[in-house]
Amino acid sequence: MAIENEFVRADMIEATEFPELAQRYAVYGVPLTVANETIRFEGGAPEPYFIPSLLQQLGVAAQEDSAES
Amino acid sequence: MPLLSERDRAAVHEELEKLTNPVRIVFFTQALDCDTCEITQKILAEVAALSSKLELQTHNFAIDREAVAQYEIMRVPAFALVRVETRADGEGPQASRERDYGIRFYGVPSGYEFMSLIGGLLDVSHGDSGLSDQSKALLARVTEPVHFQIFTTPT
Repeated sequence: MAIENEFVRADMIEATEFPELAQRYAVYGVPLTVANETIRFEGGAPEPYFIPSLLQQLGVAAQEDSAES
Repeated sequence: MPLLSERDRAAVHEELEKLTNPVRIVFFTQALDCDTCEITQKILAEVAALSSKLELQTHNFAIDREAVAQYEIMRVPAFALVRVETRADGEGPQASRERDYGIRFYGVPSGYEFMSLIGGLLDVSHGDSGLSDQSKALLARVTEPVHFQIFTTPT
C-alpha cells in the first residue's frame, strides 16, 4: 500500500524486540495492524477484505459516490 | 559462519534474480543497548551480497542524526528499503535518485519477517505492490497521511 500511495507509510515491527511498543498498542496476537495510532485490525485477511476494511475505517469510501447512481 | 544456510542462500539468490531497479537497504544501528543490531546487520549483509542490484548502507543511529531525521527512524535496529532510480538524461553525481516509499522494518528480519523483507525488496525494485487493480483504485483515494504499524513475531 505504501508503494501505491505516497501518503501511506508502513512500519513492520518485530513485537518481541520492542516490548514498549507492544505494550502501548496492546499487542496480544499477531499480525496486528495499527493505522494512525488508533485503528486496529487483528489477524491476517484476504486482500479483497483487508484493504477495503482498513481504508473504510480511515474514512476512505469503498464505493463510487452513491449519490451519483 | 553465515546465518543463511547454503540452501536458503540459493533460494534467495534465485528470488532476487527478479529484481529490476536497484534497491538500497538503509540500515540504522548502534553499538550500545541494542541486542539485535548485530544479527540484523549480518542478515542484511548476507542478503545484499546475493544480488548486484542490492546495496547496504549503514548509519549509526546515535551519530548520523541527519539520516535518522531524513528517514524518520524511531528506534534500532531499523532499515528502510528505497528504490534507486537512474535518470536517463542524468550526468554526474545527481544522475541517480532515491524513491522512498516509506517502508521501514524494525527488528531482526527473521522467520516470517525474512519473507517480508524479500517480498519488500522485489516490490520496491519493481515499484509495484502486486495488489489488485481494485485495491490500487481504492488506494488512489487516500489523500491524507496514513501510518501503518504492522506487528509480527518471528514464528
